[in-house]
Amino acid sequence: MALSSESNLWGAEAVIYIGEFLGRKVVIKKRRSKQYRHPVYDTIFIQARTRNEAKILAELYAAGLKVPAPLLVDVEKGALVMEYIEGERLSEKLADIEARELVEIAWDIGRQSALMHNRKIYHGDLTIANIIYSGRGVYIIDFGLAGYSTDIEEHAIDIHLLQKSIYSLYPHLLKPFMESYFKAYREYYSGSFDEIMYKLREISTRGRYIDRELRRSVMRERYVG
Amino acid sequence: MQKIHVPVKLPESVEGKEVTVLGIESTSHTLGVGVLRFSRGSVEILANISSQYKPEKGGIHPREASQHHMKNAPTVLREALGKAGVSMRDINTVAVAVGPGIGPCLRVGATIARFLSKYFNIPLTPVNHAVAHIEIGKLFSGFNDPVIVYVSGGNTMVLVQKNSQYRVMGETLDIPLGNLFDTFTREIGIAPPYVVDGKHAIDVCAEWSQEFQPLPYTIKGNDLSFSGLLTAALKLAKEANGGKESLGRICNSLRETAFNMLIEVSERVLALTNKKQLLLVGGVASNKVLRWKMETLTSIYNVKYYGTPPDVAGDNGVMIAYTGLLLYLYGRTSKPEETHVKQRYRIDEEAYPWL
Repeated sequence: MALSSESNLWGAEAVIYIGEFLGRKVVIKKRRSKQYRHPVYDTIFIQARTRNEAKILAELYAAGLKVPAPLLVDVEKGALVMEYIEGERLSEKLADIEARELVEIAWDIGRQSALMHNRKIYHGDLTIANIIYSGRGVYIIDFGLAGYSTDIEEHAIDIHLLQKSIYSLYPHLLKPFMESYFKAYREYYSGSFDEIMYKLREISTRGRYIDRELRRSVMRERYVG
Repeated sequence: MQKIHVPVKLPESVEGKEVTVLGIESTSHTLGVGVLRFSRGSVEILANISSQYKPEKGGIHPREASQHHMKNAPTVLREALGKAGVSMRDINTVAVAVGPGIGPCLRVGATIARFLSKYFNIPLTPVNHAVAHIEIGKLFSGFNDPVIVYVSGGNTMVLVQKNSQYRVMGETLDIPLGNLFDTFTREIGIAPPYVVDGKHAIDVCAEWSQEFQPLPYTIKGNDLSFSGLLTAALKLAKEANGGKESLGRICNSLRETAFNMLIEVSERVLALTNKKQLLLVGGVASNKVLRWKMETLTSIYNVKYYGTPPDVAGDNGVMIAYTGLLLYLYGRTSKPEETHVKQRYRIDEEAYPWL
């Protein structure tokens, strides 16, 4: 395996190497050991996250979703080799985008996240920095915080995080983006869309010192109907 | 006394001005009065006096805490003015923390501040308690644009400055970190007192064992949730039934897991924003283990680290006075009859001209 060390990227959790494997351009995600963690914990943490990410990537890839294909995993060493996705992060792409293209991209992300949630998988960090726009379509990457859950809470959290990330960088795009996103999500999601929408409202009232009236109105809906 | 240069942008009109500020803090368990003087771009802390309400059993009882504040306020105020060597006539503005905090406690500070302002005819400056924690950290560190990790009994959040506002990048969705430790140690019967000689009961207990066992670890995006961790740790403690060894293991694991969650979020924000400074503020900033973890984290990224010193990390009057000074210099004073307490006063709801 050839590695080009210049193009290393440091994420919070792992170092990303770009390399070549069986003639294909690949990404190697190596989770780093951290001195600030208890040694037992460090090992459990790295291995569990690597195993989890590989497993979920494999399942989603097999199901036909646009995620990087996992090629090789070494749980002991905390390394994961996967397909390299050529393209631009959505967090950059949105800076200059036409209205029609935005609607198409948002629709596709809505469709893919619904399909992912239908398989009881949540992403856990679904932000526009973790979505790559490539010539072949829209890819969701970085499943490091992903997991399995039947709780719609986790599904709604994904959508909440996506909204938050768009709002913090491109507040003016939030409305057109989410309209198109929800259109597709509603079409493909196998659970109750209304429940998801209700959960989303409830999530937005979490956190400390949130306006009491807002929280009360959400709680009232829950108990009084 | 040592003079500290003010690291934030001030309006040009302050040139040559000398300002003396009295700050009153009473948001939670601490009643604090601080006095500081500003001249030629630097501040000098003249007094920092406080009195803490320490519950004999249970947690903070709002009424008892507010009664403690009422009873001690005259002494603390007099002592602060005496130590500073100033009289009320020398004070240019009275700053008071109006929130976020416990209602009855907040009202004590606000009432005193309104009275002083009216009686001595001094402008009143309302201050957000959370902003004050951060500003005092920035003053001592000299940092201008850090990633801020704010951990206390009432708050756990990771913030950055953007567009003249503090932006919350990640925060706790339920209980704060300090509250988690307080509640756990109280439930297993080793607190109160929660902190003895600057050491929290959880740290005492954690030293009973070096072992670690996995506990629930909940991160949602950049937000944290500690309530599941608390429930799981309490359940384990109940099953362990009191042995020092096993209790130590649970304390150690609880602390390790909670800190690691916070560190992971801080690390994600560092990687995301590429900032070169990290500032640890709030009451839990005094915790040695957390300090060590943060130092280790920042050394990996080649980021400058600063942890606020214990005497200004916990709640105190000086931080209110200092933030009041900044607001006063920018003309953000308020009339006593229009100054109300705000129990739910979010840090991100207002813009600050010096950011």
